[in-house]
Amino acid sequence: MTTGSIEQSELTSLEPPVTPTPMLDWVSTLDHKRIGIMYILTAVFYLAVGGFEALLMRIQLAFPNNTFLSPEMFNQLFTMHGTTMVFLVGMPVLTGFANYFVPLMVGARDVAFPRLNAFGFWMLFFGGLLLHFSFLTGSAPNAGWFSYVPLSTKAYSSLQGVDYWIIGLLIMGIGSVSGAINIFATIVSLRAPGMSLQRVPLFVWMMLMQAILIILALPALNSALAMLLIDRWLGSAFFDPTRGGSAVLWQHYFWIFGHPEVYILILPGFGMISEVIPVFSRKPIYGYRFVAASSVAIVLLGYGVWAHHMFAVGLGMYADIFFAVGSLLIAIPTGIKVFNWTATLWGGEIQFNTALHFAVAFLLQFVIGGLTGIMFAAVPIDWQLTDTYFVVAHFHYVLIGGLVFALFSATYYWFPKMTGRMLSERLGIIQFWLWVLGFNMTFMVQHFLGMMGMPRRVYTYADNPGWALLNGIASLGAVFMAIGTLVLLWNIGSSLLRGKIAGDNPWDAFTLEWATTSPPPPENFTSLPEIKSRRPVWDMNHPENADWKTEKTPIDKGKRPNLPKLAAWLFIASEAVFFLLLLIAYVVFNTRTGEASVTSSVLDVQRTGIFSLFLISSSVTFWIAERFLKAGKKSAFVFTLSLTILLGITFLAGQAWEYTGLLTNDITINTDLFSATFFTVTGFHGIHVSAGVIALFIMLIMGIKGSLNPSKAHVFGAVGVYWHFVDVVWLAVFGIIYLGLLQ
Amino acid sequence: MSSYFDPTSELWKWNSPVWLLVLSLIGFYILFHQGTSGKRIASFAFAMFALAMAYASPIGVLSDGYLFSAHVIQHLILLLIVPLFFLLSLSETATEKIFRHPFMNRLGHVLAVPFVGWLSGLGVMWFWHVPSLCNAATENYALGIFRDATFLLAGLAFWWPIFSPVKRFHIPSSQAVIYLFSACLGCTLLGIYITFTVISVCPAFANPVDRLGIMNMLYDQGLTPGTDQRLGGLLMWVPPCSLYVSAIMVILKRWYSDIEQTASANTAGTTGSLREARQ
Repeated sequence: MTTGSIEQSELTSLEPPVTPTPMLDWVSTLDHKRIGIMYILTAVFYLAVGGFEALLMRIQLAFPNNTFLSPEMFNQLFTMHGTTMVFLVGMPVLTGFANYFVPLMVGARDVAFPRLNAFGFWMLFFGGLLLHFSFLTGSAPNAGWFSYVPLSTKAYSSLQGVDYWIIGLLIMGIGSVSGAINIFATIVSLRAPGMSLQRVPLFVWMMLMQAILIILALPALNSALAMLLIDRWLGSAFFDPTRGGSAVLWQHYFWIFGHPEVYILILPGFGMISEVIPVFSRKPIYGYRFVAASSVAIVLLGYGVWAHHMFAVGLGMYADIFFAVGSLLIAIPTGIKVFNWTATLWGGEIQFNTALHFAVAFLLQFVIGGLTGIMFAAVPIDWQLTDTYFVVAHFHYVLIGGLVFALFSATYYWFPKMTGRMLSERLGIIQFWLWVLGFNMTFMVQHFLGMMGMPRRVYTYADNPGWALLNGIASLGAVFMAIGTLVLLWNIGSSLLRGKIAGDNPWDAFTLEWATTSPPPPENFTSLPEIKSRRPVWDMNHPENADWKTEKTPIDKGKRPNLPKLAAWLFIASEAVFFLLLLIAYVVFNTRTGEASVTSSVLDVQRTGIFSLFLISSSVTFWIAERFLKAGKKSAFVFTLSLTILLGITFLAGQAWEYTGLLTNDITINTDLFSATFFTVTGFHGIHVSAGVIALFIMLIMGIKGSLNPSKAHVFGAVGVYWHFVDVVWLAVFGIIYLGLLQ
Repeated sequence: MSSYFDPTSELWKWNSPVWLLVLSLIGFYILFHQGTSGKRIASFAFAMFALAMAYASPIGVLSDGYLFSAHVIQHLILLLIVPLFFLLSLSETATEKIFRHPFMNRLGHVLAVPFVGWLSGLGVMWFWHVPSLCNAATENYALGIFRDATFLLAGLAFWWPIFSPVKRFHIPSSQAVIYLFSACLGCTLLGIYITFTVISVCPAFANPVDRLGIMNMLYDQGLTPGTDQRLGGLLMWVPPCSLYVSAIMVILKRWYSDIEQTASANTAGTTGSLREARQ
């Protein structure tokens, strides 16, 4: 967490003073706008890749009994299409827009952690490359985007595809979490004076919600991926039912991530629509509070409904009922927003340009996707339609009809700000109709195909009555969307060269990004308007009708949490979920009746108890060291910090001793489920302690050199948040594994 | 055949001692009724109704050794519903009078430390579901009463920082959201554990003594011990979380309405120089 030490005042020195080539200039940039654009370009590139994969599938499915693709190739294509679209298009393009616009919309000069920001982007970039390297091995991942076990275990996927999938996703996941921490900290700590959290633009609010979702949901995926990797490479049996593992556990963990992921993708879309519709209706959004608060409800409920993806598993009637009710409940906060957007349009002075065209289409199509979602909350309907094309139709209505249309809308809205040039409205409308037609042709008919019983993920189908026609229509629609995308690319290219000059605020829009030049200068703003309402730029340009004269909003009390500590807390929140799920796996596999617990027989509880005391006392010495640092007592600080490091190392030595004993007794990670869960949990904890020791060591060197002075105590405190967290995790580990508290 | 809705059946226990508590609370409420409104009286009536039903209705009878799921419902009523509505029924003026006393003031502040309430609420939830304790409290009447009393008190402590009638004891909105969300996480974990574990969390319910001769009826309805425990786990998980999410919505409403100070007090937002924007 030392990244946190970057002070805003140091930002000017972050850019290298001399940049030899434009290429290096971009690669080494720390400017949030450039990183945002790199995210968006990466997403566009992978959109082309994922879109091409979709086109190949639609060619294969255009006719019954087609042989254009082999079954194996088809499996690889739908897996890579799903994975690419979710992780390399959906998430990066949203992070890109957030990177570019969140600092501008809150009136900040840059993001909170520019280096962490660049790190997040490059993790995504190389994670994506690694994932696609799998094609070079001749076996891209082929177990579907949710890689259900046991299909994805070594026994059924012996080639390397799934390994690339796991590693690629882990790396991209690290990037996503760092990006989310950065966006969260930017919104919470870098807002311009006057902008209370109750006044932030809704896009910013939605990105805050998305950041929370990413920080708390991604680690669920990471823990599942880690276990699958250990299964595949080290021969453990977390997910192998024949050796006592649980295939259903993978589904739980995947969907604990996977369902919030839906909201990770759609909430920013809601945010974009909430910016576009008011501006082109010439009104403030109707019911700002409802849109914002209902998103909080979505975030909270979003964690509790994952099992509706698993109705077909056989969870039992009561579990089905509860998850069904939860899933129906979440429709309420989602539905509320549709009324808010409609009411904003109602009676507005509507400017029906391309951006608003896409926004209105979003409304209609998202409602269709939402309604089919409510259908799936009803368990019997789910049983009937699960794994049919109805599911494919449903989530494409949400993700394309919803998210992609929102993205197009945002592109037409914000392109002038990003480039200084307007996009062509004529080409925009052509693109719009191509997409509306193409999208609805492709996916509307899939509802019927699903009802008629066509399963998803089959490489071909028999010539059943009506299937050929409907599939033909679906495939033709894909061509329309492809042409529509080419029109957009042409529009972007020609507008960049010859587009109308945009000016600072071509739409007479309301929020702070329009208070600077287009494109904005590296420092973002030369001056900021007074912020007394949710629409500061409107207030500035229309002082006679300023919002604050009619509607009071909570004033800014000026609270801006300390950045390094905030980042440390967010990081450990994410880590806590990771450890929690590993511990749950331990409890699941070690509390069964009829199996004698091997814990007490192989673990030396007393010895580990003593080494635990070393770790716990290191928290105390750290706390004392922090006090010495604050008091400016350098030598005492160095001494207590050295003691902390020593205690940490002693604990690690104890763990090494224990591991050696187990390994020499032939107890390894693949012995049984106890050893698998034991080594995984304590191993990851050990890695965290080691990382903590390294961080403390860096602090020690800084302390000795004198660069860690009382004014930087908050940086040291941020490391402390992490160090204490590692200790708390150990207390839980010791209680559950060594003392067997839950057994 | 007994019916849950037939008040004369053996599933209802009208002579439960809970009425003593209800009556004395009503007495106190009438004594200290200063500043009450219709809404508050309704809250109080609901709290008393819930308290009485937790024992007198089939919830109380079945939670006495028959159904783990009924025990969970009783537990949630005592821990979450009764204390919440009781706090909502108190007027600020009357409560302020009590908490003006230095000792009470200190107590109020101690209870307003988020960790105290959080740990009380979650703590009793977890503590009383350690299998041996859960069993003992079900089988031993006095211990059962003690457990129920801790539920009520812990519930008061849990809701205090959020819904205390005295506003100065409220924690800031952002903290309140984290407080409730993490509480939801806590009961989710317990609920998941109870739902999916193969261990009998409260063995007393696995082999009930059939005092009332209703065991067959329950089994016929599908409430076998395994199903009963899974249902109990789900009840421990979903209803409290729904309640917490609703409470978060109330907090957000409060937060968005926090506009007591006039716009003229808004000195922070003067036309910005960049230096201010960077802070």
